[in-house]
Amino acid sequence: MTDDVVIQARRLTKEYIRDEFHIVALKDVDLDVRRGEYLALMGPSGSGKSTLLHLIAAMDRPTSGAIRVLGADLAAMPDPEMARWRNRHIGFVFQTFNLIPVLTALENVELPLKLTHLKKGERMEHAVTALKLVGLGDRLHHYPRQLSGGQEQRVAIARAIVTDPDIILCDEPTGNLDARSANEVLELLRQLNRDYGKTIVMVTHDPHAARFASHIRYIDKGELLPEGRKPEDWS
Amino acid sequence: MKYLPLVWKNAWRNRRRTLLTISSLAVSLCLLGVMMALYYALFIGGQPTKSQTRRVVVRHKVSLTFPMPLHYREKIAQVPGVEEVMVMQWFGGVYKDSRDQRNFFARMAAEADKLFRIYQDYRISDAEKEAFIRDPAGCVVNRVLAERHGFRVGDRILIKGDIFPFDLDLTVRGIYSSDELDDETLWFNWKYLENMLRNSPRLAAGTFLVLVRSEEEVPAVCRAIDAMFANSEAPTKSEGEFTFGMSFLSFLGNVKVILMSICFAVTFTVLLITANTMAMSVRERVREVGILRTLGFQKTAVVGLILGESALIAIAGGAIGVLLAQGLCFVIRQGPLIVQQTKTLAIEPPVLAALMVVSLLVGVLSSVAPAVSAARQNIVDALRFTD
Repeated sequence: MTDDVVIQARRLTKEYIRDEFHIVALKDVDLDVRRGEYLALMGPSGSGKSTLLHLIAAMDRPTSGAIRVLGADLAAMPDPEMARWRNRHIGFVFQTFNLIPVLTALENVELPLKLTHLKKGERMEHAVTALKLVGLGDRLHHYPRQLSGGQEQRVAIARAIVTDPDIILCDEPTGNLDARSANEVLELLRQLNRDYGKTIVMVTHDPHAARFASHIRYIDKGELLPEGRKPEDWS
Repeated sequence: MKYLPLVWKNAWRNRRRTLLTISSLAVSLCLLGVMMALYYALFIGGQPTKSQTRRVVVRHKVSLTFPMPLHYREKIAQVPGVEEVMVMQWFGGVYKDSRDQRNFFARMAAEADKLFRIYQDYRISDAEKEAFIRDPAGCVVNRVLAERHGFRVGDRILIKGDIFPFDLDLTVRGIYSSDELDDETLWFNWKYLENMLRNSPRLAAGTFLVLVRSEEEVPAVCRAIDAMFANSEAPTKSEGEFTFGMSFLSFLGNVKVILMSICFAVTFTVLLITANTMAMSVRERVREVGILRTLGFQKTAVVGLILGESALIAIAGGAIGVLLAQGLCFVIRQGPLIVQQTKTLAIEPPVLAALMVVSLLVGVLSSVAPAVSAARQNIVDALRFTD
């Protein structure tokens, strides 16, 4: 793994048992993502895109194969260390925003910083900066229910970047947004990649969203297709 | 401490449910508090008053309802260590309407000239004391009892006899108070009984009240009295006045077991209520647990947050329960005197500490299972969870 490659997967396989069904979500995936890259992972529903994202985020463990992210062997990492690693290196943006409804925008963004050694004042300062960066400096004390979908997703992005992670992982970040809000979010992600050098892996099945990325890879039936190749039935 | 705002906000996520849980905890812990206060007062913290430690009650060994010959008085007076002996007789009777609990109070015949020598904690003016001693139909009434019924010196009190075949027509000659314990008793002159039961075999002693020279001599005096009458027509049982009072509790059955059973039942019920609430609350938030874990929260931190929330609710319920229990103890203190401990019933510091520990335990135990279960769930499964 060269210094430039921050995500490296080799023969990565993930299988599930759901009730009596044996499901192969990912099969022998080989992937390299370089520092500063903005990769869009595309594919139809159930193709294994999100599963790959979860494995990169150390939210799940592979059934077999190897995955190294920022040099760390995630398959071998114990749970507590994995949680700390995730907090320090990964920012995650969900399709459904996943903000804590009882917390304000500021408190939601502050949440990951509670796991650091920062003092209350410093945490607040960082959270305000992140919210200003996503254009929500005037919505600090609003609860999620008081925000539009696009604003909620921007709060989620602020929460993802507040710890200054190396990698931002986005799972269908525009899936629940109207076209205008989606564009704002995509612009924001591009800005984070371009201006702040963040490595971004975005899962999407929206070709418009994928066009904001620097590279596009396709997954079909759990297999990562070679660069430049699309699934046969992909329109 | 930095998680406290999150714990607080989570606890109030569903205000109605939280308030209902706190209310049910408060009511249950109020009941538990009163039971524990009673248990503590009766079996742990209850202590005889200073003057009680020198008083001995002598009764028939078989039962309190069996009388003893009056001439025992002179024999008891001969026992080394005995300073004074007085005949005492429970009259019973009915004052006004017996269905009204407030009309129930002790009505005792006692030797008027000895009463205040034996009850050294009683406070009464010399004039009232002399008037009581001189009047065979006189009585003295405790201040609290007098205030409750509006008795004043010179008032007539009529008691309808039930155990004895005559009624009492008494005149209040004095109102006494006590430095130690207001016993809410009406004492009337023994001469009244003597006059009414002259030449009757019913003229006998229900109990003898003995004043012992010192507290240390009480056990020896009790043994000596009981030994003296061991083979007589009426064997005796002598015990300290405080212990004698406690023996009335046995009429109610095994009070210890009854109180403990209620305590355990209440604790178990409150545990189930809280466990149900916490299980519901955690189940609604499985997805959020997944979010927290994604952000880097450890499983132990998630468990801590849920336990903290439950403990917060339980302690709030416990604190309100303690306040309610204090109020209930106050109400019990105002009621009729059954055993002397009820007159000083309160949530003492050890009971308060025990209640707060029970609250905390209920909080923690009720949420351990749902907290651990939520924290152990796979992050991806938690994020996909839909209730």
